[in-house]
Amino acid sequence: MNQQGRVLTQLLKGQFICQVSDEDSWRYLKSSANRDALEPHLNLLNRTLTTTADGDVFFVGYAGLGDEERKVLGQQFQEVSSSLRPFVDWLLLVQQAQGNDVPVTMGTPIRLTELQTIIEDTPAFAEQLEKISRYRLFGSTSTQVDGQLKQVFKRLTDVGYLLKPNPEKQIFIATGKIDYLYEVLRFIDETESLSLAEQAQMSSEQGSLL
Amino acid sequence: MNQNLFQSGVKLLNALSRHSEVIMRAYLVGSVGASDMSPKVLEQLLQLGVLWRPEQDGDYRLKSAVRNLLEGSLQDERNRQIDTNMASALAAIKTLAQHYKEALHYGRFAESQGHLSDLREHVYALTESLANHVRLLFSRINNEFGYVASVDAKIRENQLAQSQVTDLLNQIEMIQFDEMSELAGNNRDLRHLLVVALQQSFTRVTKELSAVQARLLELLGRFREFRGKTRLLKGFVLHSDQHPDFVPKDYTAFSQVPMLFNQAEPLLRAAAVDSNNVEQEAELQHLVGQIRTINRHRKQEQQSAAKTINVDAIAAIEMDDSQLREAVEQYFCYVIDSGENITALQYLQWQALNFDTEAWLYQVIGGYQSLDTEEQRFFAIEATGEPHPLYSGNYLIHDVVLGVR
Repeated sequence: MNQQGRVLTQLLKGQFICQVSDEDSWRYLKSSANRDALEPHLNLLNRTLTTTADGDVFFVGYAGLGDEERKVLGQQFQEVSSSLRPFVDWLLLVQQAQGNDVPVTMGTPIRLTELQTIIEDTPAFAEQLEKISRYRLFGSTSTQVDGQLKQVFKRLTDVGYLLKPNPEKQIFIATGKIDYLYEVLRFIDETESLSLAEQAQMSSEQGSLL
Repeated sequence: MNQNLFQSGVKLLNALSRHSEVIMRAYLVGSVGASDMSPKVLEQLLQLGVLWRPEQDGDYRLKSAVRNLLEGSLQDERNRQIDTNMASALAAIKTLAQHYKEALHYGRFAESQGHLSDLREHVYALTESLANHVRLLFSRINNEFGYVASVDAKIRENQLAQSQVTDLLNQIEMIQFDEMSELAGNNRDLRHLLVVALQQSFTRVTKELSAVQARLLELLGRFREFRGKTRLLKGFVLHSDQHPDFVPKDYTAFSQVPMLFNQAEPLLRAAAVDSNNVEQEAELQHLVGQIRTINRHRKQEQQSAAKTINVDAIAAIEMDDSQLREAVEQYFCYVIDSGENITALQYLQWQALNFDTEAWLYQVIGGYQSLDTEEQRFFAIEATGEPHPLYSGNYLIHDVVLGVR
């Protein structure tokens, strides 16, 4: 199978293609000539190539929307919007536990054992993890940090937000789907005029006054 | 206590004491030549950052840090200078240059050499301090302001570094080369110092500073993005804490669905193995060979509860083969009565008996075998058939002929 066939297969499987998940396919899709060559194949199936706003994550959307397609999209949206809070809590936990104040984005490596040590040593983080692992999305029943963390990371890897390049090592890499999540948040923020960033800034300034 | 730092510090101080004569000579004269010490010592002092060479094939000079240390401890105010104050450094250079020219003019050569050596020190110190500043900025950028933890602090550090760069650039602009070259006139030494050395360092530093500036802006952009993302996350948590019933509108119901939420469901499922494809046989076998354990979830067989078995009923399921046995007896009697040879199947058809042919043949053979030897002697039995075409040692019986001896 040539590169085009491979990329087409991945796309039709519903995968998100980014630089981390599959660099070869991502490079292929970065060229507009290749994208144009793929488009007729996708259109035949009422699909079209879609990207996030920065054009670094590719996935397949519907070309035309009928009732059937809308039903699927509506269902997907429900899933995404209901899992936003668990994801956001998890992202903040990892960001705070890693200690460098850098948000988890595409390509961020996460060392599970290091993270586990920090969370185990910090009761506040352990409490937070306990709460996160109880979300239906992760569905952990474990009472130990070890079990909870492993379950959360396993779920995130299954859904495609994380990648485990070496099955022997507990090192995970965030994929472009995480960036997709940020875009969803940003979109909701703008559409509903929530001004989330301002709220956060205000609360942190009030916090520093206390 | 950092053991490494401690040991290298001790090493440095030892080196200073071991080569104190060379260092003091360099301090007093301003520079030392390579011939004043052994190459090994020179190498070591260069490596420790005690000496440095401002020009490709010039003499070696003390680093300003060592010089400052000696000046401070010896209370020697002779060469003390204010560091990055470019204006005063330039004024001092201009003044010294004028002293030097005046001394030359009146033929006071010894004095002029002293002025020239001072001037050298000033010019080199200026270029060194510029280079140091750029290096400091680079080292801060390279570890991405790792010495502060939060992104907000990094942004502040970045802004500070940017203002320092602007400051440095402004100061460098104060070097007016036409003024310098006018001041140097046609004196070779002065031209070399004021025009060539300064200009070289000027171009190098401006080039590096512009790289620094670009990197700083790039970093600032990244930090701002980080901060934006963090605030987005924190804001979302805050918002959903304050409004627990917050649910975003269903954007997919809009007439124009945003691209972001237009995600088609997967079309392709994983393909299955075609075990009939001969071409793939070798690979499939290889795959099967790699399977180490087979973890099949075996269904738990239902354990039936114990119950009493009625032993009396066994007689009921006994096969009722009495009819077959009687028919065989009739067949044997017929053969004795008529005295003619008739095969078992012929008899079966003739009598139109309703038995399975195979069962019938078995019963006939069995009937013959069950006679005692004396009775068997009256009959002759012969099977017609053929050896099995595939498996040797087996004989297929098609029919049996029974006759009277």
